[in-house]
Amino acid sequence: MQINKIMSYTFDKEDLKQIDAIKAKYPTVQSATMPVLWYAQDKFGHVNAEVQHLVATTLDIPESHVHGVATFYTQYYKKEMGKYVLDVCTCFSCQVCGGYDMLHYIEDKLGIKAGETTPDGKFSIQEAECLGACGYAPMLQVTNDVYVNHLTKEKIDSMIDGLKEDKLPEYEEILPPQLISKD
Amino acid sequence: MPEIIIDDKKFTYDTPGKVLPFILDHGMDLPFFCYHPSLSIPANCRQCLVEIGTPVFDRATNSFKTDENGEKVIQFFPKLMTACSQDMSDGMVVKTHVSSEKVRRAQKDTLEFILVNHPLDCPICDQAGECPLQIQTYKYGPEGSRFEYKKVHKPKRIQLGPRVVLDAERCINCTRCVRFTHEISKTYQLSIVSRGDKNYPSTANGKEFDDAYSLNTVDICPVGALTQADFRFKARVWEMNQTPSIDITNGKGTNVDLWVRDNLVLRLTPRHNPHVNDYWMPDSSREAYRLFNENRISRPEIKLDKELVKTSWNNAKETIAEIIEAHDTKEVLVLGSGYASVEENFVFNQFFTALGCGKASFVPHVVEGAGDGFLLTDDQAPNTKGCELLGFRAHTNRTFKNALAKATVVVVLAEDIVGRELANAEDLAGKTFVYFGTNNNTTSKDAQLVVPITCAAEHAASYVNVDGRIQRTFAAKETVYTSRATNLEMSTGRLDRFGTKFDNWRTDKNKVDCLPVWEFLSELAPRLNQTLSYETGKEVLTAVSSSVDAFAGVDYDKMDTEMGVVLSTPETEEKTA
Amino acid sequence: MAIDFQNYKTLIIPQGGNLRDIKAYEKQGGYKALKTVFDARESAWTRENVINEVKTAGLRGRGGAGFNTGLKWSFMPKPDGGKRYLAANGDESEPGTFKDRVIFEFNPHLFIEGAIIGAYSIQADAVYVYIRGEYRSWIRFMEQAVADAYKAGYLGKNILGSGINIDMYVHSGAGAYICGEESSLMESLEGKRGYPRVKPPFPAQRGLWGRPTTINNIESLANVPLILNMGAAKYAEMGAKTHPGPVLYGISGHVNRPGVYEFPTGMLITDLIYNVAGGIRNGKKLKALVPGGSSTPILRADQIEGVSMDADSLRTAGSMMGTAGMSILDEDTDMVDFLYRISHFYHHESCGQCTPCREGTGWLEKILKKIKNGDGEMRDLDLLLDLTTQMEGRTVCALADAAAWPVRHTITRFRDEFEARCRKSVFAIA
Repeated sequence: MQINKIMSYTFDKEDLKQIDAIKAKYPTVQSATMPVLWYAQDKFGHVNAEVQHLVATTLDIPESHVHGVATFYTQYYKKEMGKYVLDVCTCFSCQVCGGYDMLHYIEDKLGIKAGETTPDGKFSIQEAECLGACGYAPMLQVTNDVYVNHLTKEKIDSMIDGLKEDKLPEYEEILPPQLISKD
Repeated sequence: MPEIIIDDKKFTYDTPGKVLPFILDHGMDLPFFCYHPSLSIPANCRQCLVEIGTPVFDRATNSFKTDENGEKVIQFFPKLMTACSQDMSDGMVVKTHVSSEKVRRAQKDTLEFILVNHPLDCPICDQAGECPLQIQTYKYGPEGSRFEYKKVHKPKRIQLGPRVVLDAERCINCTRCVRFTHEISKTYQLSIVSRGDKNYPSTANGKEFDDAYSLNTVDICPVGALTQADFRFKARVWEMNQTPSIDITNGKGTNVDLWVRDNLVLRLTPRHNPHVNDYWMPDSSREAYRLFNENRISRPEIKLDKELVKTSWNNAKETIAEIIEAHDTKEVLVLGSGYASVEENFVFNQFFTALGCGKASFVPHVVEGAGDGFLLTDDQAPNTKGCELLGFRAHTNRTFKNALAKATVVVVLAEDIVGRELANAEDLAGKTFVYFGTNNNTTSKDAQLVVPITCAAEHAASYVNVDGRIQRTFAAKETVYTSRATNLEMSTGRLDRFGTKFDNWRTDKNKVDCLPVWEFLSELAPRLNQTLSYETGKEVLTAVSSSVDAFAGVDYDKMDTEMGVVLSTPETEEKTA
Repeated sequence: MAIDFQNYKTLIIPQGGNLRDIKAYEKQGGYKALKTVFDARESAWTRENVINEVKTAGLRGRGGAGFNTGLKWSFMPKPDGGKRYLAANGDESEPGTFKDRVIFEFNPHLFIEGAIIGAYSIQADAVYVYIRGEYRSWIRFMEQAVADAYKAGYLGKNILGSGINIDMYVHSGAGAYICGEESSLMESLEGKRGYPRVKPPFPAQRGLWGRPTTINNIESLANVPLILNMGAAKYAEMGAKTHPGPVLYGISGHVNRPGVYEFPTGMLITDLIYNVAGGIRNGKKLKALVPGGSSTPILRADQIEGVSMDADSLRTAGSMMGTAGMSILDEDTDMVDFLYRISHFYHHESCGQCTPCREGTGWLEKILKKIKNGDGEMRDLDLLLDLTTQMEGRTVCALADAAAWPVRHTITRFRDEFEARCRKSVFAIA
């Protein structure tokens, strides 16, 4: 029998300071719901029921409200995810440029389907809606953060190899064709 | 006065408002789901779409444009508008399904959409028969469905809280329940969760929906998504009779309906009264059905060898007469109760004072902090004010104990003095104790004679709430001595009217062998050489209003038409001053 | 009049390197417009004058609806002493759209400058910049830029000694297309589920936290300093008459050189595809074009001849300008798969508030999936078209319309392809 990881979710002093700074940006505490959920997700990796409870009690707002908000927005992970979540865009601009091929390639490579997590907890794959990188299709996003554009099988291979060693892909600056550089 | 034209008919209005309530208040029909007169307006169900046009104002001439016939030129919004969110304006033209094919089509379309993911399990759904979705689908919906796919599956049979069960598949996302917890009960326990067609209302992860008013969400749910845990599958609505009544579990006098089948009260629902409870009622008040059905005292009981045994009504009367004759009436403590109606207390007092007993007194039952400033009151009894206005002395617990100690005979109306710890078996020991009550309790156990009386569900009688408003009940269920066939005031159900020519109230076992206090005492009176003759609560109240100033001018008709009458008490005088 | 696009000097896309560094931006003449406005505000640049200048420049919102920005500003009521807000819409979630991120990444101060001037004009106390949560990298750019602007004294208390206080905050979305709808964006800023609000009341009457609010697209605000610098008259002459100014065209799909390009409005679509973006990939032929994000009606190759990218020309052609996020589809594109994927998107993104959209989007997707899988019947096509009329214009916001239009127009404009995928309906003859 697997022993469940017992984890208690708390905000420490520094967290509470950050949260106070977030609250100061808005005229109502309720407005801090989304940024504090983000803050919690960055810290804990997800916003499961316990984290939602923590956010609600920290902000002193109804827990049902936090739950409603967390479940409305897709980027909040309502359950524990793999360490790296690969959001592969398959929306139509990527679709017409081979987005599904890339998705299926990653699925085959990791041996899981979109919506699943590898048994070692390292990777999750999700089929994502338009991520706003249509000109650089096909593309994916790693754990709500860096975009990997112009996907090819080779690029995916090296990215996944890197992630296995916890090396995050670097941010790719794509210059607008008309941007004239200084030199 | 500003006017509005609805389906070619002209109406005037003096207070600004939305189109939908205006249409409904004028007896016209317009289907809707999410709108509720006491909640905010999200306009999300899109069922009340109508065509709206306004007269065209010409700035150049500073007047309304007119056509060749001198009629105002009306410009219609290009889109259909939701009547619930549309403010009325002078000269506005509204076309509903009565006059617009576009609106008829929209109503049908929206219903088709609503039904796409609705399980259509009406045959096993508690809401069937009183379901706005069912009714409106019959009236305005499509004949069949063009949806040939698997419906979205959502959580079913979720015990949201101790009293409310959720079937999310039936939910049409009107958000009435969520708005209720935000705007009325203010517990914020519910939120819509998820997104799109996976939306449904829920508490936060596994939290209890234990809102003290949670069952109102069941009432306002326009489908069978929220059902009452202790009423589920008990009865179809058309089998029950719906009788107006008053909540007797606290001092607010919340207006309720009793739903009765075969002489059992199966549920209570709130009845709209803008002066008292609006559309709402606390969950605790709904428990009253147990008081009406369970543990009733049926047939008089007399103590023989420390055991209460059933006895005859004649024996009960004879026993009381003998007690009175055997004692000095000055030693009789006559205790009325805020738990009994004005009529019962009045007759009770009238009877015993005529015999020479002292005026009836009572012990108010106030629990500090039990009230919530809304529909729950510190006052636990429904008629404390009524007793005060009848001039009963209000005892404190201590003065009552003193009075009790002095008495040799104690006659108690409906007050559970032992249960309330106003007295214990020792205090009562050696005294002759007669108890007039509805339910078996610790007090009835200690009595020498128990006289079963009718409860609020079995007689018409009135109660004065904490704000001095007198309101009345109707007989909703039969006793052994009454019949709904002869009592024309008892409401009829749908089965009575349309279903069967035979009485669908089949069994006698749910009828309680009890009598109204006034009837029992009227029968007893001649034995003690008294004249007292009341057959109904109505007659008693006539006597009350002609003999007690505070009740002057009050009668049942006035209460019925005015949703209760505010009596002139020192407090209400102050308020109106 | 044809546009001399080869010699066009971009105004939003920087010339002279990335202008994310505030010093670099200032060196290029950045914050000049702001300084002029604030210095001379007693005389030339009163609030009314700024609003009128933007109004006469004819700047139309770049977020999709194309409403006159100055006119929108003029809807704000007179100050009553309470707070007022400007919300900058950088939710950028319409599939096919990826242009505001270019501003965040390469010229954020142009936007910030425009937003401050906008906030000044409508007397807003604070600007909330709503950026979609997926743009985390770009949110970081913006947070840095805002911090730099504070440090330089362009934001905060007593800006440039003018006595005016304006704050700016960056707010991250978290994955919801609907939050690009202005009232939903406000709900989201208030920390709620992104349910669009019933209008009226309009944002200028009751917006953020119940206070008067104006919502402008990022690119719209970035145009404001340009207008003040060059003057409304000159701005109004750029590009299409009824829809002037520079526009960021996001070109994606089957072209050789996809990307975000800046040109005046009114560019010929053919120029953009063949001369700017290098033509169709792999020597294929053009099949269709989605001119301004997935909700704008698709145009067949034979419908784009002579059509230019501005509101009027596109309306005549049977489509809309939208966000100018142009998706180019080549002859091999499977229109059924394409439309199915778009319907999947709208089903996924419907907030679920209004019945027709909540239920309709899912139904559309289910039918299209059936057709895509080869199980469709002819009658399904008519049902699809019927459902689009049942959805359109019947909801609180325009998401139902956005979901309905692509279905209606892709089917009507490529009906043969859809029919080819459908089984012939077989009726049993008894």
